[in-house]
Amino acid sequence: MAKVTVRNVEKYYGKVHAVKGINIDIKDKEFMCLLGPSGCGKSTTLRMVAGLESISKGEMLIGDTVVNDLAPKDRDVAMVFENYALYPHKNVFENIAYPLRIRKYSDSEVQERVQRAAKILEIPELLDRGIAQLSGGQKQRVAIGRAIVREPKVFLMDEPISHLDAKLRTHMRGELKHLQRVLNTTMIYVTHDQLEAISMADRIVIMNLGEVQQIGTPDEIFNHPYNLFVAGFVGDPPMNFLECELVEEGGQTYLRNGGMKVPLQPAQIEAIKSTKISLNRKKAIIGIRPEDITISKEPRKDAHIEGEVYVTSPMGKDVVIEVESKGHHLKIITSINNVFDMGENVSLVFDTTKIHIFDGVSTRAVF
Amino acid sequence: MDKDIVGQQRSVFKSVMFYVTLGGLFCFCVFPIAWMVSTAFKHKDDIFSSPPKFIFEPTLENFHHIFTEAPILHYLQNTIIISVITTIFSILVGVFAAYALARFRFRGKEDLAFYILSIRMFPPIAAAIPIFLIMKNLGLLDTRISLIIAYTTFNLPFVVWMLRDFISSLPHELEEAAMVDGKSRMGAFFGVTFPLLMPSLAAVSTLCLIFSWNEFLFALILSQRDAKTLALGLTEFMTWREIGWENIFATATILVGPVVLFSFLVQKYLVRGLTMGAVRQ
Repeated sequence: MAKVTVRNVEKYYGKVHAVKGINIDIKDKEFMCLLGPSGCGKSTTLRMVAGLESISKGEMLIGDTVVNDLAPKDRDVAMVFENYALYPHKNVFENIAYPLRIRKYSDSEVQERVQRAAKILEIPELLDRGIAQLSGGQKQRVAIGRAIVREPKVFLMDEPISHLDAKLRTHMRGELKHLQRVLNTTMIYVTHDQLEAISMADRIVIMNLGEVQQIGTPDEIFNHPYNLFVAGFVGDPPMNFLECELVEEGGQTYLRNGGMKVPLQPAQIEAIKSTKISLNRKKAIIGIRPEDITISKEPRKDAHIEGEVYVTSPMGKDVVIEVESKGHHLKIITSINNVFDMGENVSLVFDTTKIHIFDGVSTRAVF
Repeated sequence: MDKDIVGQQRSVFKSVMFYVTLGGLFCFCVFPIAWMVSTAFKHKDDIFSSPPKFIFEPTLENFHHIFTEAPILHYLQNTIIISVITTIFSILVGVFAAYALARFRFRGKEDLAFYILSIRMFPPIAAAIPIFLIMKNLGLLDTRISLIIAYTTFNLPFVVWMLRDFISSLPHELEEAAMVDGKSRMGAFFGVTFPLLMPSLAAVSTLCLIFSWNEFLFALILSQRDAKTLALGLTEFMTWREIGWENIFATATILVGPVVLFSFLVQKYLVRGLTMGAVRQ
């Protein structure tokens, strides 16, 4: 069990600056997710922790040991790969036992550990099967079994459930989180699926273009995104954004976009002032989540936007309604019982306490 | 009903034509080999009989003659030793070169890979004289080593190029998993990659062996007596006085026999090896 420290780590592939000076402190026994779109550097970072990629600059520590020059075999980490990387010429038992065989464990100890791992993962009946005979879910469990059998300091998982079908993925999220608690070991989990990260992690590192955008708990990431990228990446459907102008008129401060006016609350005004952004006619971006918008068929005096229903997408007990208004498209989540037709005129009311405000130039969150 | 009958007749006709054509091609390909082998077992009189004899009394006198009156056994020995050592050496060196080209990133990698391949494109006849001069200066003429070096020079690019493709087709995550599990890079190669490469190695080794076994040009240039191979030794029966067809065919049968037999034994690896990498997975 160990903490992992990433200190000013950079990675170059030739001239390509894949990872740009990131700093991450992963606590002992923590479930940390590295989340981001493809090409953001999350897998590269994980591979640098494993020792499969060299570190161009900076330091990587596992526990208190700098591991930059340590081979993967000497770092006491275990890894589950995206495509499982099971040895096709060995059966399930030997795949799981392989790390122990390398370390010259006795046959009895190998037998005991493999059986224990198989029992945890509910695959004892598969131990004498060949790899080719396994389903995707079974292969994934074998890959996890090979990782847990060694009881390493850190588990590394590189999108291990991305190739499973949706139902199995949902099931495995819970299983992996439970497993991490049972094993009580530091786990670093790479994914591009924000739902996986939000539902499984203790904390999340959101990355984009080789840089860390924000590190925080799922609640912090979701409710207090650091910038526009984080706000738009987390949440399904994603947050709605509207470019506005900050306007001070008649003693009131509000955000304006065409005919839309969103009055700002004192706390929001204070937050904006504290950033030392000049108020009048300054560009800002409003962010509002689909679940924080009320949609109504009847015209409302307090409506912020009037528009037309573009498309509706039922999702079980909810429905996602996409509304078009003067070229903007906004998504709203409401109960499936509220029936809206395409082309129908609607009014949208924002919950102004849930509005996020971003600086229109730097895209950093102001409120 | 009439249409069905006509359709069936056409289908039968097509089948018959297909098998007749196939049979014809088979005979065309196999006949020279069959004639060669059968002639090796004929008396001298039967070889030149007119009309040609397809049913005859077989004899081993030709084989007896070539093994007792000519140093065919010595040539066979040379051929086996040179072919096997060339193959082993080409595989040993080639597999590591192929691994480096398949797995590592370094500057000029593709240029180096093409340079290696381009050696195989080079017509051996153009290199014959330079290689002769090199071996002469090294004092290696008419030695097995000279032929091993020459054959390896032209086999190695083939081995590297083929194995590079095979290794590239194996997921690199397998080795990485082994490295994380506790193996060094070399340990991961021998523990995981090498066993998976066995079919490819069998295919490439077979082809290397066949190339070396059949090789004539460098054997002609670099050997005289001590290192003479069977392919070259066969020409001893073509003298100014006569062409000893019975001896030539007997020697050719010995030359071709082991390779054909070996190819039959490993043919599934050959097919697999030649087509592996053709389809991206």
